[in-house]
Amino acid sequence: MSTRVVGQSVPKKDAATKVRGSRKFPQDFNMEGQLHAKVVWSEHPHARVTKIDVSQAEALPGVVKVITAEDVPVNEYGIIIPDQPVLVGEGDKVRWLGDRIAIVVAESEDTARKARRLVQVEYEPLPVVSDPREAMKPGAPLVHDERGDTNVIRHIKIRKGDWRKGLAEADVVVESYYITPYVEHVYMQPDAGIGYIDDHERVTVNSAAQWAGHDIPQIAHMLDLPQDQVRMIVPAIGGAFGGREDMHIQHVLALCAYLLRRPVKMVFDRSEVMTRTGKRHPYYVKYRTGATSDGKLTGVEIEIVAEVGGYASTSVPVIEAGTSFAAGPYVVPNAKVDAYAVYTNNAVTMAMRGFGTTQSAFIYEMQMSKLADALGMDPVELRMKNLFQDGSIGLTGHEMPEGVGIREALRQAALAGGWKEEDGRWIRPDLGPPSAPHKRPGIAVACGLKNVGYSFGSDDKSTVGVQLALDESGRIARVTVQTAACDVGMGVQTALAQMAAEALSVDYNQVRVSMADTASAPDSGSSSASRHVWISGNALVRACQDALRKRDEILMAETGETFVAAEHEFRGLSVRETKPYDPETGMCVPHFSYGYASQIALVEVDSETGETEVLKFWAAQDVGKAVNPEMVRGQAGGGVHMGLGYALTEEYIQQEGVAKTRHLSDYYIPTVMDMPREFTLVTVEVPDPTGPFGAKGVGEMTTLPTAPAIISAIHDAVGVWIDEFPATAERVWRAMQKK
Amino acid sequence: MATLNMIVNGKEASVEVGAGDLLAHVLRDKLGLIGTKISCGEGECGACTVLVDGLSVTSCIYPALKAQGREVTTIEGLPQEGQLHPIQQAFIDVTAPQCGYCIPGMILSAKALLDENPHPTREEINEGISGNLCRCTGYYQIVEAIELAAERMAEKGGAR
Amino acid sequence: MWDEYLFPQSVDEALEMLEAHVGEARIIAGGTDLTLQSQRRQVPAKVVVDITRIPGLDHVEERDGLIYVGAQVTHAQVAASPLIGSLAGVLAEACGSVGGPQIRNVGTLVGNVVNALPAADGAMALFAMDAEAEVAEGTGRRWAPIASLYAGVGRCTVDSCEAMITQLRFPALRDGEAGAFERLAKRRTLILPILNTAVVLGIDGGKIEKARIAIGPVATTPFVATEAAAALVGRAPDGAAVAEAAKLASEAAEPRYSLLRGSTEYRKSMVEVLVRRALTRAVARACGEEGENGNS
Repeated sequence: MSTRVVGQSVPKKDAATKVRGSRKFPQDFNMEGQLHAKVVWSEHPHARVTKIDVSQAEALPGVVKVITAEDVPVNEYGIIIPDQPVLVGEGDKVRWLGDRIAIVVAESEDTARKARRLVQVEYEPLPVVSDPREAMKPGAPLVHDERGDTNVIRHIKIRKGDWRKGLAEADVVVESYYITPYVEHVYMQPDAGIGYIDDHERVTVNSAAQWAGHDIPQIAHMLDLPQDQVRMIVPAIGGAFGGREDMHIQHVLALCAYLLRRPVKMVFDRSEVMTRTGKRHPYYVKYRTGATSDGKLTGVEIEIVAEVGGYASTSVPVIEAGTSFAAGPYVVPNAKVDAYAVYTNNAVTMAMRGFGTTQSAFIYEMQMSKLADALGMDPVELRMKNLFQDGSIGLTGHEMPEGVGIREALRQAALAGGWKEEDGRWIRPDLGPPSAPHKRPGIAVACGLKNVGYSFGSDDKSTVGVQLALDESGRIARVTVQTAACDVGMGVQTALAQMAAEALSVDYNQVRVSMADTASAPDSGSSSASRHVWISGNALVRACQDALRKRDEILMAETGETFVAAEHEFRGLSVRETKPYDPETGMCVPHFSYGYASQIALVEVDSETGETEVLKFWAAQDVGKAVNPEMVRGQAGGGVHMGLGYALTEEYIQQEGVAKTRHLSDYYIPTVMDMPREFTLVTVEVPDPTGPFGAKGVGEMTTLPTAPAIISAIHDAVGVWIDEFPATAERVWRAMQKK
Repeated sequence: MATLNMIVNGKEASVEVGAGDLLAHVLRDKLGLIGTKISCGEGECGACTVLVDGLSVTSCIYPALKAQGREVTTIEGLPQEGQLHPIQQAFIDVTAPQCGYCIPGMILSAKALLDENPHPTREEINEGISGNLCRCTGYYQIVEAIELAAERMAEKGGAR
Repeated sequence: MWDEYLFPQSVDEALEMLEAHVGEARIIAGGTDLTLQSQRRQVPAKVVVDITRIPGLDHVEERDGLIYVGAQVTHAQVAASPLIGSLAGVLAEACGSVGGPQIRNVGTLVGNVVNALPAADGAMALFAMDAEAEVAEGTGRRWAPIASLYAGVGRCTVDSCEAMITQLRFPALRDGEAGAFERLAKRRTLILPILNTAVVLGIDGGKIEKARIAIGPVATTPFVATEAAAALVGRAPDGAAVAEAAKLASEAAEPRYSLLRGSTEYRKSMVEVLVRRALTRAVARACGEEGENGNS
């Protein structure tokens, strides 16, 4: 499809104010007469609160109020199920370190900070469950004794074909046990915001979020208010990566404003973000893969135990999504999968870039790398033999919709990375000599795929409006896109502006995008699931078409009107009817759209210390249509950054539910020096016929193959498989010692 | 309280500060210079980077009174006569900012680097921003923006 | 956090300020550590005495074969100093490894010593260079060997509430002498090392005539591997001598298990690798095969 604005790397709408430093993030707002809040956090991962004494704190001059459980109208919340107390009261349990006991509100931040240390809390410690494999055993201490007699909150079963026969008939069976780490999002902007009562008496919160529209019902429920009396305003957001899907701060600010009827500001420090907000799920995985000697997959048997932490958050949909991709983008005729989501007293786990599929990508790609090694087959070739194409039948018996771009992504990645294709055979590149005698070079490939939008029958929808201001001759002078989509940095506002300019045949600079304010902009759903370009783009293009029709009517009727508005709600289910897992077989239609990626890592491993350096990296991303190629490259760079940290350096360490990595000085995200010196993005455009201009989602797919590519490359270099990562120097060294 | 006199972005500034106040807070809360960001609060991420007498410092752990009599440059001080600094313009042109929270600190580290070394190699640019963490970009477009700015500044300098 | 922030104009005035607020005042230089420690209330101080404006403490100079580094000299200045680069390259390497550029611009080498961490990069090189510190205290000034300044993790024998270090000195490397610095960390920069080592050796007439090996953090203070160094003396600077010394250093080092830094077993093993690499580079440099600032 020939396009004019879509496909151009126009400047991001927010770039100028961001380079000037004038763009306001939540901590940059202040209001007349504002108070300051600090949370009194739980000191135990599992305990009963026996006494809360706020008298000393309240006596401190400057303290306005210490809010406790009895002040909360409806003391429960949760993004999917309301299993979290807003504040834990006397007699109730804390279930992880992120539980709140009280909120201290004072005239100054300093006073609030001092007063929080004066709140006296007594606990009766309870046995801590800190390993989900133990937690799922009968008789384990219950994290939520009020919710039944098990810590398992979801068990997914997939039974496809005859898995016993599939594995029995295999010439080679690869069997592994994997442990994926707890990791933190590390969005650079710590949670912050202001709650206040607006001119229309609405409880209003100005804060970062990923789905302003979904915070509203949670806050309204907590305050027992109608939803139209709650308002969310989302200014610039300093990154999210899934970490702002749950409310960390919004409901607390709403509660303060509601109770005190004054503006209340709260800013987390980094250690609060580190230790009191959600993380990525660790998976504990048993995985068997069978294949014939010519490399055809015959079956898989998989058991996944995913750690939920103290509260459910989005764990159930995360595990559902992750499980649906447990066999990756490969045709597997026979499968047995059991996946469990299990409460513990460790940090709550939640959405994080990939939504459960990042862990899956690690396990299925490590299996493929091992299988190639066991078969003595080139890893590209093995994958090519099994990869999906249009119409392939997936793990849950569903048909892959048109636009499967994974083969093309792998082909282009392999060619870029130096592979050669000769008559259907793939031949790996010669890596040349290492940079030093003790260094060992290695190269490996990995693939990944992920759904776009919500899955399993969820009614995912986005509403986007468009307003046209016409000049006297009826030409479009200015365009405003109306959306409450949160721009977490990825550039949704820019991408939507480009699509509006394209659909309306106007200049990009004529389009502005409204602020994400639930009082004035329609709900476009969450900035998650790599969905906005696809779903909000679809809504926007249709709204533009409506607007143009209305404009033409006005011109025809010669009414002299100069303002046209249109709005469209686009539903994902209108494209494909998705369905939930069958309870016994797991068969379903999981997702309506997909994006694909294939990446290659060239590493050098220090054979003496075990250190890994990623020298070069190739990322082939099938985005359907790159709406803004430079933004795609930015997403890919960031995805690889996060995947590289996941593979090599990042690990949120807890002991018996207590965090040991509490600052950025002990939780190591990659610096510029840790990134591959050469990074090549190969943009692949296999159109999604259901996407706007053929576009697919991008954001999450960029990170899926990174860790398995790097860790498989370590094997290529020094011959060891690192099944529990990050592949720190010591882990690699230990594996080499055992060899 | 003590009086802190400094030159901020070329203008004299005089503020009452506490002995333990940190420069980032003084800039943000007392002078309204919100472009200075606080992320880790312990000098580990570079988001709060400002220049003191031309040297980059992490202002979140820099005692404000150390700036007594010094020249402080924040992101707000970079544009000249309404024109963005070439580094700022280059960041826009190569789509370097995503969430943007690390960007002011990155740009100031870049400025400190280019002021000292107008023709840096890629390796020197990496060194120059090695104290600034970014979670969104993978740093590539940031490094390219600094390269582009260096080229443009050299051309402009040559024309003059 | 603090009640008073003072700028003395001389070392004597600084000491008077400390005396005027006995036990409550503390010396601050760059403050990159103290600010955080005060914030976290690990190090109490009501009054801080900032020495960065005292004239005469900003020198890096050589006199009579000794290099003097003043208390205001930052890691960045040490790393960039041509004098240090040519006559004490190991120190330049070490100081260039500290934190990121912003921390190196503010944090001082003397501060690195006073903070007394057994992982400090700059201090490790000072141990290898056999440095001394000039201590200014009530009774006057004295030179103290670097090792005498360390009493344990974070505990310097020069109490910043009573005294200060005004400068450091160490012998400039002569012909046939060279050093090297190595570190191992969980990422490439902006991080404390899980291990580091600084070595200095001298070669004369085809034989190693002196050697010093400092290793951290493998004890509560920077560890000097004297046996390993002694084993080198008198030997030809070949691979066998280096390997043997590295092995001895590893046997002598006693790193603790650390959840964040790694196991005893791994770190002990890595001592051998790092010391061997550092010695190998130092030998190459001493033999003129590699520039003092060269990286291998």
